[in-house]
Amino acid sequence: MSVFRIEHLSKSFGELTVLKDITTTIEKGEIISIIGPSGTGKSTLLRCLNLLEMPSGGRIFFNDLDLLARTTNITKIRQRIGMVFQSFNLYNHLSVLDNLTLGPVKLLRKSKAEAELKAMELLKLVGLAEKAASFPDELSGGQKQRVAIARCLAMEPEVILFDEPTSALDPTMTSEVLAVIRRLAKEGMTMVIVTHEMEIARNISTRVFYMDEGFIYEEGTPQQIFENPQREKTREFINRVRRYTYRITSKDYDLYAMNAEIEAFCEKHLLSRRICHNVLLLAEEVLGLQRDFSDITLSLAYSEKDDRLEFIFESAGEPANPLEEGEREDDLGIILIKSRCDSIQYKYENGKNILLCGVKG
Amino acid sequence: MNSKAYILVLISLVLILGAGFAVGDKNVPEATMLWGGKAFAAPAPGNDGTKLRTLDDIADKRVGVYSGTVHDAFVAENYPQAKIFRYDSTADMILALKSNKIDVAMLDYTSAKVILKNPSNNDIGILTDDALTLPLGIGFNKNNPALREKFNNFLREIKSDGTYEEMYNRWFENDPEKAVMPEIVNKGTGQKIILGVAVADLPYVAYVNGEYVGFDIEMVKRFAAHEELPLEIITMEFSSLVAALSSGKVDMIADGIAITEERSKQIDFSDSYVDFKTAVLALKKNIASYEDEQAGAAVTIPFLQNIADRFHNNLIHEKRYLLIVDGLKVTAIISLVSVVFGTLLGALICFMRMSKNKILVNISRFYISIMRGTPVLVLLMIIFYVVFASVNVNPVIAAIIAFGANFAAYVSEMFRTSIESVDKGQKEAGIAAGFTRVQTFIYIIMPQALRHVLPVYKGEFISLVKMTSVVGYIAVQDLTKASDIIRSRTYDAFFPLIMVAVLYFLLSWSLALVLDYIGFRTDPKRKRRTRLQQV
Repeated sequence: MSVFRIEHLSKSFGELTVLKDITTTIEKGEIISIIGPSGTGKSTLLRCLNLLEMPSGGRIFFNDLDLLARTTNITKIRQRIGMVFQSFNLYNHLSVLDNLTLGPVKLLRKSKAEAELKAMELLKLVGLAEKAASFPDELSGGQKQRVAIARCLAMEPEVILFDEPTSALDPTMTSEVLAVIRRLAKEGMTMVIVTHEMEIARNISTRVFYMDEGFIYEEGTPQQIFENPQREKTREFINRVRRYTYRITSKDYDLYAMNAEIEAFCEKHLLSRRICHNVLLLAEEVLGLQRDFSDITLSLAYSEKDDRLEFIFESAGEPANPLEEGEREDDLGIILIKSRCDSIQYKYENGKNILLCGVKG
Repeated sequence: MNSKAYILVLISLVLILGAGFAVGDKNVPEATMLWGGKAFAAPAPGNDGTKLRTLDDIADKRVGVYSGTVHDAFVAENYPQAKIFRYDSTADMILALKSNKIDVAMLDYTSAKVILKNPSNNDIGILTDDALTLPLGIGFNKNNPALREKFNNFLREIKSDGTYEEMYNRWFENDPEKAVMPEIVNKGTGQKIILGVAVADLPYVAYVNGEYVGFDIEMVKRFAAHEELPLEIITMEFSSLVAALSSGKVDMIADGIAITEERSKQIDFSDSYVDFKTAVLALKKNIASYEDEQAGAAVTIPFLQNIADRFHNNLIHEKRYLLIVDGLKVTAIISLVSVVFGTLLGALICFMRMSKNKILVNISRFYISIMRGTPVLVLLMIIFYVVFASVNVNPVIAAIIAFGANFAAYVSEMFRTSIESVDKGQKEAGIAAGFTRVQTFIYIIMPQALRHVLPVYKGEFISLVKMTSVVGYIAVQDLTKASDIIRSRTYDAFFPLIMVAVLYFLLSWSLALVLDYIGFRTDPKRKRRTRLQQV
């Protein structure tokens, strides 16, 4: 019996569709990492699992119980699904200890003494027993998040949902929280973690969902996803590729605006002056060889992981490699282009000439 | 705590010093009695060498009248150049005269005689005593001619059997200050009648030893006893008497009310029971005929003796402290019940304002803007004279509704902003943990919102306590009205006003302390130490 079974789940906010047709299952004991670029619905998917967001379509089963059925008492079920937030959301008016006991006492009808005993145990587990009497505003971010995790555990949940648990933390605090999550993993807790922290996805989780464009674009074990991603966008994401695109539709394009944007892109990603200079030159020379300006797309793709910049030039029209020698009297442009690249590929696809150049550093 | 005690001591010091000044001033013959002080006084008529000789000399002067009386209209019609100052109590008018805020005061002759007898008023003289003569009558609702008919029969009866003459001698011929109300036994089996009065002063209506006395009171009491109808007397502003009668709040009104054409349009009058003469009063030094009397009028009274006398006069004499105690009770009851009612209503309005239902939101927004855009005094009178026009409702309840409704509008917005100021994540955390929406609100949102709202709530609470001082307008005898009544008897502004100010201060201060204590109790960090020991 799977903990979550999701069938054709979709969610839209007004006109904006965030999730489209997601179908998957999450088994007991699994640790799922959901990764992907911002704004692709990772958090929305997570928040649909305990109905903090109402799905627009599809079905979600928790232990084979249809969450969206009228007869389902969702508040009762939420007591069995813990949730940890990016912004901690500790109850500000209660001490750390009371944060842990409020739920068990009011919802699980435990006695105050029993709840406190359990709470102290959990605080020891996350290393914060001495902060029991402190208030949330007296804790550091990492401490707050550990208390939040302990607060979840106090309800003895079957699964914990983590919504970017370390995004608001600096590296030291992040490792405090990661250590706690790792410990839970060892104890076999079922967890679903939305994260930007590749370290969690790679080393803690049993399965990784790569989300893009509102659905699970690729999923697999951490090895598959991180070492041998099958699909283009996954690859780009794993290699931390940053993109810049400029479109030209007429001969009278604004060269200076384009150059300024390319420079800004280089500056943003801390590329060297040399690379920047090479890219500008490449762009100018390739455009200089071009005759048809009706539909040109010029892109830069920078992989942070490999520290490599690719220059991609696409133009519509008849198949024609602009770099083919002998067609023109003056091949100086071609020589210049070649001198700035350490690899050049040409292909013709879908009625487009595509030129792929690795820019020299 | 300590700093507050210091402030109290400081205030007491200021008060004592103030009393000293007031007394000091009084010993100088031509000085005004109170704050008025010579430095602030406008040029008196005497200063330009022309003293008042006849009534026509008031033509360009500042004239004080009782608001809503025939004098008001009389001066406006006959002396359009005169500046009219309207007062709601004789005491205020006399104090204004003494402090040179007005040059002459116009009032009924018998009342004037009483005022002149008071030793503290020996700097005042009569310019004329026959400025205007009018018949006085008891007012009745136009819809109740039967009661008026009964009264007229009764009036004829007492005029013929000598009772009237006995009463006339008691209140008009002899010294009304010394008059003793005869015991009037009322079997009171029939339907209750309510008499509205303004407690203008003797000889008509006054409040002495915790009881209403005066010619009008005796006459109406005798009438009620004669008809065997239980009688209730309520106090209101003179200017509201006619409105109260025509809206059915009271069955009869009496307080030296002159029968005029204008009033007769609104209400019915009984036959005239006495003629009313108008006296014009001014400071003796401004009246030509008093020139000889000027010198040596003042007698020096020792400072402490004077304070003691005035304390006795304002509080002990005629059991006047009872008025203050009762007034304080009424003020405290109105304040506290309005706050409770207003807070509950405010919570409801806040709930409506924050609901997703458009209709509820609009109703609450409309309510809030109406309440915040209307003066509470106007609201109070609308509730009493318009909303409850045909229902016999205790004015204290009307006051509680008015102040509560007003308070609700303000606190509902306070509640809303404080709830909205609680971080959204708190609600999400509660819902995600499996609390229902209501539980989330009670256990998580409300405790945090309360901490935000308490300081502003305290301010609004205190301002409500002070705001209740206007309830005198709908015939409620609160603390302020009690001081008005005392002033109308003693012509001393200092003691009653300062005392009432101090009482209001103490009342608000102690209520603020209670709220401070609640704030202290709800501070979560307070519990830390005790909790630590247990775990």
